[in-house]
Amino acid sequence: MNDLVVKQNSSLVAVEEAQEVVTVNLAGQVLGIPVLEVHDVLNAQQITKIPLSPEWVSGVLNLRGRIVTAIDLRARLGLPPREDGEKSMSVVVEYNDEPYSLQIDSVGEVLRLDGSMFERNPVTLEQRWRNVSTGIYRLEKQLLPILDVEKLLDFEGAAKAA
Amino acid sequence: MDDLLNEFLTETGESIDVVDVELVKLEQDPNNKEVLDNIFRLVHTIKGTCGFLGLPRLESVAHASENVLGKFRDGELQVNEHAVTVILESLDRIKEILAGLEATEEEPEGDDSDLISRLDAIAEGKAAAATPAAAEVQEPEVEDGEIIDPGLGRALKPGEVSLEELEAVFQNTPGPEEEGASADTSASAGADSSLFDRLGGEDTVAVVAHLLAQRLGNDKSLSKFFAGTSDEQLKDKFTGLMLSLFKDDIDSAEAVSQTLVTASGLADANFSALLEMVKAVLVECGVDGDAADEATMSFELIRDGVIGSSKAIAPTKQEPGKEKATAAGTESKRTSQSIRVSVDLLEELMTMVSELVLTRNQLLQIVRNMESSELSVPLQRLSQCTTELQENVMKTRMQPIGNAWAKLPRIVRDLTVELDKKINLEMLGADTELDRQVLELIKDPLTHMVRNSADHGIELPAVRIASGKPETGTITLDAYHEGGHIIMEIRDDGAGISVSKLSEKILEKGLATEAELAEMSDNQIQKFIFHPGFSTAAKITSVSGRGVGMDVVRTNIEKIGGTIDMKSTEGKGSVFQIKIPLTLAIVAGLIVEASGERYAIPQISVVELVRASQNSEHRIEKIKDTPVLRLRNRLLPLVYLNEVLGFETRENLEGKESDDFIVVVQVGAFTFGIVVDQVFDTEEIVVKPVAPILKDLSVYSGNTILGDGSVIMILDPNGIANIANSGGVETAHSSEQAQEEASQRMKSEDQEAMLVFRAGGKNPKAVPLALVARLEDIEVKDIEQSDDKLMVQYRGNLMPLVKAHPDIELSEDGRQPVLVFTDREYTMGLVVSEILDIVDESLKIELASNKQGVMGSAVIDGKATEVIDVSFYLNQAFDDWLKSKDMNDATAPTAGGSVLLVDDSDFFRNMLRPVLSVAGFSVRTVSTPAAALGLRDEGFDFDLIISDIEMPEMNGYEFAKEVRSGGAWENTPMIALSSLATEKDIKRGRDAGFNDYVAKFDKETLLRSISQQLKIQGDAA
Repeated sequence: MNDLVVKQNSSLVAVEEAQEVVTVNLAGQVLGIPVLEVHDVLNAQQITKIPLSPEWVSGVLNLRGRIVTAIDLRARLGLPPREDGEKSMSVVVEYNDEPYSLQIDSVGEVLRLDGSMFERNPVTLEQRWRNVSTGIYRLEKQLLPILDVEKLLDFEGAAKAA
Repeated sequence: MDDLLNEFLTETGESIDVVDVELVKLEQDPNNKEVLDNIFRLVHTIKGTCGFLGLPRLESVAHASENVLGKFRDGELQVNEHAVTVILESLDRIKEILAGLEATEEEPEGDDSDLISRLDAIAEGKAAAATPAAAEVQEPEVEDGEIIDPGLGRALKPGEVSLEELEAVFQNTPGPEEEGASADTSASAGADSSLFDRLGGEDTVAVVAHLLAQRLGNDKSLSKFFAGTSDEQLKDKFTGLMLSLFKDDIDSAEAVSQTLVTASGLADANFSALLEMVKAVLVECGVDGDAADEATMSFELIRDGVIGSSKAIAPTKQEPGKEKATAAGTESKRTSQSIRVSVDLLEELMTMVSELVLTRNQLLQIVRNMESSELSVPLQRLSQCTTELQENVMKTRMQPIGNAWAKLPRIVRDLTVELDKKINLEMLGADTELDRQVLELIKDPLTHMVRNSADHGIELPAVRIASGKPETGTITLDAYHEGGHIIMEIRDDGAGISVSKLSEKILEKGLATEAELAEMSDNQIQKFIFHPGFSTAAKITSVSGRGVGMDVVRTNIEKIGGTIDMKSTEGKGSVFQIKIPLTLAIVAGLIVEASGERYAIPQISVVELVRASQNSEHRIEKIKDTPVLRLRNRLLPLVYLNEVLGFETRENLEGKESDDFIVVVQVGAFTFGIVVDQVFDTEEIVVKPVAPILKDLSVYSGNTILGDGSVIMILDPNGIANIANSGGVETAHSSEQAQEEASQRMKSEDQEAMLVFRAGGKNPKAVPLALVARLEDIEVKDIEQSDDKLMVQYRGNLMPLVKAHPDIELSEDGRQPVLVFTDREYTMGLVVSEILDIVDESLKIELASNKQGVMGSAVIDGKATEVIDVSFYLNQAFDDWLKSKDMNDATAPTAGGSVLLVDDSDFFRNMLRPVLSVAGFSVRTVSTPAAALGLRDEGFDFDLIISDIEMPEMNGYEFAKEVRSGGAWENTPMIALSSLATEKDIKRGRDAGFNDYVAKFDKETLLRSISQQLKIQGDAA
């Protein structure tokens, strides 16, 4: 760890320590979710719709006796809706002790990422993305935005800002 | 028994047990600070609670023990066996008193002064201080360097002989001599005088008995046999025993001996030791040796009796010396009645049971789908057990709200003294149960609010009398269940919250600007008391006024998901309403379906289920766009769940040719039907709160997992009712809403639902729907004609029928639509050609018509429509119905002016409203004078009041007097309206304060009178 700290100090852009993230695919885009935030990864579940709820709430599901609110990440991030028949998975995270299941297309892999590759969001990033991303990792082949679960699920705050 | 006392007994009993154990530990390890602190704390608590409950005996004993313990703790005294023994003794005394308390709810009589003085002596460092009683016969002085006698467990008193020595003396003493042969040195009694006299008579016996009692208490090996007997009792017993023995009354001696010991295991040796002590005491008291021997020997007579009685006592009571038998007995009784369990454990139990219920449901679901399973019988049993278990676990958590109120009467009493006020506290619904956790959390806010009411709300008696209120103010606490919530109200009839004072404060604190305040309603301003850092009390009393009050109360209540609301009328008092939801609870839910999704409706609000189809008795009918159901002579408003949830539009729904299931639900006083696609069964559901992001959706009160593992949403009938009404119906008691809606309602009240029908002529006719009692289709063949009048048998009576228009021809056969009007005992049917529609229109009657039976015409739904005058037809039907005068000259309408109409007859109210509207007044109607006065107090103002005379409860005369007696309407002109229009009545009306008196339904006179009065008023102003 020591050399890492030195490295971090020398690097002006990197502020994060090395972290592990789960990559998920969502409408062709790859996103990272910090692995420590992920409680479960589920296959498609039976979801009970909630009429009158915001469009990005796809419903509620039963996860081993707990009621989990399902969030349609595509809708939340302004991506085109999933086509019928397309498979979905979900990643269960917690916010304020409440479980939420984020609906995604598929789960990729777990990556251990070095802090030196981390960079803050470019200012030109679309507002909606900037609000829910802590920053971006520069991977060799692609860029990996990291989801900020807290901001993503801070609906009350978001509602106030809106 | 008093709950407080009961709690105290349990708690103190537990503490004492702990202290018992800890003290023994301390004795073994005198330097253990932790143990000592613990003991000190417990004893201190006992003392404190005793003081609080007003138990002086307990308090003084505990206090003395605490003193000693305090010295130990401060290191001023060394822990020694003797001190511990005495403290243990005091604990036993406490137990004894507790036992008495439990039995009689009163502190038993008794004197603890010697125990206390011994404790005090120890505290003062005189470890071996003589008891005052003993000091009477002994030298009270204590010398330094005293010898501790191991047998007695304490220092020897001067002149006292150690047990060993006594033993030796006893051994060496030759056998007892029959007669007091030897010379006696001091006794005046002769050799042949009785033993009693030789011993020195009653005085000596008393002293001996006293000393015996004392020493027995201190002698560890013997004292245990006398456990549960106080020194005082022991002394009496010994006195009795000795008196009878020495007087050769063997029978009574035997009797006393049976009750002497209270513990088993008294062996020969112990009895011998007792005898030694007796002898030693006798010698000490100056009885000569022979007499003492003889006296001691007489005890041998009861040796067998005492030992026998000891054996008879159950050996379980053979506890260490400190346990007193009686105390132990009652203690076990107490513990078997209640034990303390940690709330966490209960919480865990509750969660487990909830899960169990869900799993049980799942199993039931599976078995239901299997045909004739052998599982079904055991499962049924399991199901039953689960239900019972669940009920009982729920019960463990429920406590009557009275528990939270228990301390309030005392608080209020103290406040009345402190503040010099007279306050009466009323508590209603104290047995309303709620979750104990919630109970704990609302205790403090409640106390705070009651204090506030007493301090800020209720005025001083003098002020109250001056403002015409009874001298004694009343604070009322009320609790009740309502739709899964618990409502608690704190009402006082005090001064209310002064808006003007509050406004000043708000400005002063800069919480709002003057402009902002000007736009706020009184109620909104009053709500500022919930603002952080606010206090209205002119000066800060010790009771309240530090400005953290209501803010904290609100925060605390909101923390448990509750809401608080208040309504205050200056001079009348305030009402605070707390609404607490029952979040975690298992309830029965009716499972319904809409658009393929299932939902649960709490069974508690479901009244009944109705199946409606086009062909059955129940059929959904429409009044324009509003679907309704006729249900037992009432119209039930309907709501389509599919529409509420946004699945389908109304057109689609109505186009469907399917059966509808209607769930009739009741929310407060409002009953309506929810139309669903399908109704399944009832299931026990565990209400889980919805995720925070869904909190704003008022149609759901929670969600749950069903037996088959799927999640479903629980509908909140209250929320649905609100959506259905868009705030039109007062479902919630929210006074704020009511206030804010008041002005809106004034507007919406102008909207009249009008029934539009066709009855001859080209134009449709209309009548205010409120006037129509029922719509009927009458078989034409049932219509009879008598005396030129049409009649029909209707509900066992003959109902006259009147044609709405002379041109209407009764059809030959089939059915004839009839509008039924009812006013008091009069019921008539108005025959019409066709019922067209019901429209909700604001009633703008274009012009007052002169045509008979027509009140005016209005554009309804784009068509010119005649609004009929029902009274005209009523007159046709009933000659004795109020004689209506000819309506020749229409009164010129006087524009403007607001009129309040007070009449208990719905009919007249609905009748007069259009009449007055036609004349250009804005009309507000109420059914009782009380309601009218309510409006006055709410600050409404009217230009004129029209009141009926004959009304229940308060008649028009009384009402007028009340209005004239003061208040905002003191000078508002009033017109009396009555069918009693004799000279006398008119005079009486004027005397009461009416400006004019008009016969009922003399339309023109009324209108004329109104304009007249308004004109007078205008001129005066």
